[in-house]
Amino acid sequence: MILEVKGVRKCFGGVVALSDGNLVCRLGKITGLLGANGSGKSTISKIITGVYNADCGEINYNGQCVKYKNPNEARLDGIAMVFQNLSLIPDLTVWQNIVLGAEQKKGIGLDNKSAKEISEKIINKLHPGLDINKKVNQLNPGEMQIVEIAKAISAEPRLLILDEPTAALEQAQVKNLFQYMRELANQGVSMIFTSHRMWEVMEICDDVIIFRNGENVASIDFAEEGKDADKIISYITGDAKKSECEIVDREISGEAVLSIKGMNYGKHLRDISFELKKGEVLGIGGLAGQGQNELLLALAGAYPDMKCEAEINGRKIKLTKPVNAVRNSILLVPGDRQLEGLFLKDSVYKNTIFPKLALKRQPLFIPSKKYRMECENIVKTLSIKTHTIDTPVGTLSGGNQQKVVVGKWLSFDINVLLLADPAKGVDIGAKRDLYQYIVDMVKEKNTSVILYASDCEELIQYCDRVLIMYEGQIVDSLEGCNINEDEIISASMCVKRTMEVG
Amino acid sequence: MSKITNVSIDSIGSSMKKIGLKQEVSSIMILLVMFTITAILQDNFFEPNSVVRNINAFAPLILLAMGQAVVIISGGLDLSAGAALSLLTCVLTYVMKQDDPITGVYAIVIAFAVAVLIGVINGIGIGYLRIPPVILTFATSYIWLGAALFIRPTPGGETVKWFKVFYDTKSAEGVPAFVKAIGSVFQPALVLVLVGCLIWYVISKTKIGRYIYAVGSSNDSAYATGINTAKVQMMACIINSVFIFLAALFFVGQNQSGDARMGDPMTLKAIAAVVVGGIALTGGRGSVYLAIVGALILSFVNKIIFFADIPNAYQTLVSGLIIIVAIAGSVAYSYINKKAVGKESK
Repeated sequence: MILEVKGVRKCFGGVVALSDGNLVCRLGKITGLLGANGSGKSTISKIITGVYNADCGEINYNGQCVKYKNPNEARLDGIAMVFQNLSLIPDLTVWQNIVLGAEQKKGIGLDNKSAKEISEKIINKLHPGLDINKKVNQLNPGEMQIVEIAKAISAEPRLLILDEPTAALEQAQVKNLFQYMRELANQGVSMIFTSHRMWEVMEICDDVIIFRNGENVASIDFAEEGKDADKIISYITGDAKKSECEIVDREISGEAVLSIKGMNYGKHLRDISFELKKGEVLGIGGLAGQGQNELLLALAGAYPDMKCEAEINGRKIKLTKPVNAVRNSILLVPGDRQLEGLFLKDSVYKNTIFPKLALKRQPLFIPSKKYRMECENIVKTLSIKTHTIDTPVGTLSGGNQQKVVVGKWLSFDINVLLLADPAKGVDIGAKRDLYQYIVDMVKEKNTSVILYASDCEELIQYCDRVLIMYEGQIVDSLEGCNINEDEIISASMCVKRTMEVG
Repeated sequence: MSKITNVSIDSIGSSMKKIGLKQEVSSIMILLVMFTITAILQDNFFEPNSVVRNINAFAPLILLAMGQAVVIISGGLDLSAGAALSLLTCVLTYVMKQDDPITGVYAIVIAFAVAVLIGVINGIGIGYLRIPPVILTFATSYIWLGAALFIRPTPGGETVKWFKVFYDTKSAEGVPAFVKAIGSVFQPALVLVLVGCLIWYVISKTKIGRYIYAVGSSNDSAYATGINTAKVQMMACIINSVFIFLAALFFVGQNQSGDARMGDPMTLKAIAAVVVGGIALTGGRGSVYLAIVGALILSFVNKIIFFADIPNAYQTLVSGLIIIVAIAGSVAYSYINKKAVGKESK
């Protein structure tokens, strides 16, 4: 036993990310870490490597109780982590990145020759043919991920933590990686491996630990208990209490507002086709980062290179410019409100009038009295908690900020409203207000909504139909009573397909 | 046989393209154009006397630009370089007494210490206190200026007789014969530039050299990898100070006096030289030697204006236009190149 984590707890500002994390890692074994989004598996990895400090609990590594303050300390102790958000220097070459921070001296200069040899050796096993003299900013995301993995391996760790290393990789690259991981395991390196793809976990791991809602609910040793995908899924989703189907099927008039055919954008979106009916709330589900955000951005016209046939109310439109989308009243409420949706330093009032100034014909002098009245109305209808409408948006709470983002589109006729995870980081009360408002809008104005939410519950509660995305494709469409947590998660994990493959 | 020759021709072709792709090439091409125009306009361009004069005129800007380049590559910017240069000339002339040759040595040691101190102060502000470089160095430039005015309110001062060795060895007194012999072959200004190049050559082979690029390219990633980014930024500032120190030696050798305001116009010129040379202001990209190319381009532009009989009133205007045209040309060049490569890879 190389690593034992006992009763680790971690809160982020009142939100419990990890309530009782336990984990055991054996010498030369590969431990899989499974769980839905936000179940705490990334958090526990980061606590082990010292990115976060645990609130309580203990970590035993090599029989000693350890507590690392930063990743560097952990690395010196032989624990390396492959980060999901890459830690590479874009302007340095591949080999320079691999040895970065651990350069060997040779005389007055650096030992570049052996550094290149080491890099060449590791890269050749992971991705033969990658030129180590290329700069990192010339690589594609998959190659970058490989360099990131090579960087962690070059430190010759005794415990290697791989946090979803395969998300950006292609099939062949994954195979190479697995081969190398086996080799390392045979040399006595222990590994913790996180992935959302069931078949990968089945293939590479010796045992799995399953997390749900911040605690580990099961650990399965494959050697003793065998590999049973269904059992693992049931642990991930919880003892599925089939919730009663409460939602009464609403009458949705058959007419399609928006129809998309053959949408393709690089690797992010592949061959997506769907129709959105008037007054329908269409959910987009799936694991994080499977192309949902890209889909919404593509609909909002953010990608000039995107290819698709789009029709709105039977009229053909080109969705390659944001202006086209906005002119056709396809409006996006972006996911990262602080970055994309708001001018944080400006007041609530100013934020609500910017779209008007930009899109509508304006009299020479801005009719501020009228607009202020309208803004007061928006604040009232959405119950935005703000002192006055001249308060800077940056000082409001997250939920109220999000309401401003939605509110600024209020005075427009909306054909299609795109919501990218609108309730992320929003407290429950504000979340309810926000959704209530959207539901009312759908009922009154017969607006169509496309909602991407990382939280299944929101999809279950508000959507008429849910499309599940997996690696840039729509793999499933759920309707009516089929919209429940069980179905969504098993569709997200692509269990049906993996069963066929495996 | 034919196969082999084919392959070798292909590889030559691709390596030619690789050369053509490099950022260096476009700025070196501009330099060649400027060089040719100057050589045509100036009748006695290749005569020894005018060569010497040109080297003396170009060297200070080259040194300052190289120092500035190091800071810019590390992700910073030094607006205090000119003021620091002035301060160092004032310190040098303040310590030296004309009749006492040994004071020259003291002056050099003290001025070097002051230079390092300037680098350390800028480095602490940028690296450890995380003050934006533009704001910090703007503020420190006033401190250096204030200190310079304190020790030398009006231009003047004196130097030891041998100090001319940094400008013109022949007229320097009291220097060993072998130094004079070297000086008659290599201009002192040229030697100073070569010393600067040597310093950077050595540093670029060490960890600090690589870390300067890493920190400038992505501070957060470098930190996550365990690099002490604050220390690297401070080292960049200190290296810059050393280059400023070399420039100060030249100026004092030339003018035999110190001036608290002489360096002011040099700051932005040096930054412009770095940019014209093709080093990205965002940091992490470009070679320090490109700063030499940039400084030479700017200097040749000045010469061209001078010899092209452009009326005084328009000279500044025209020099600005020439620089813009030159940079636009290099941007267009790299754009065409990128397109060609893009097609090929498809």
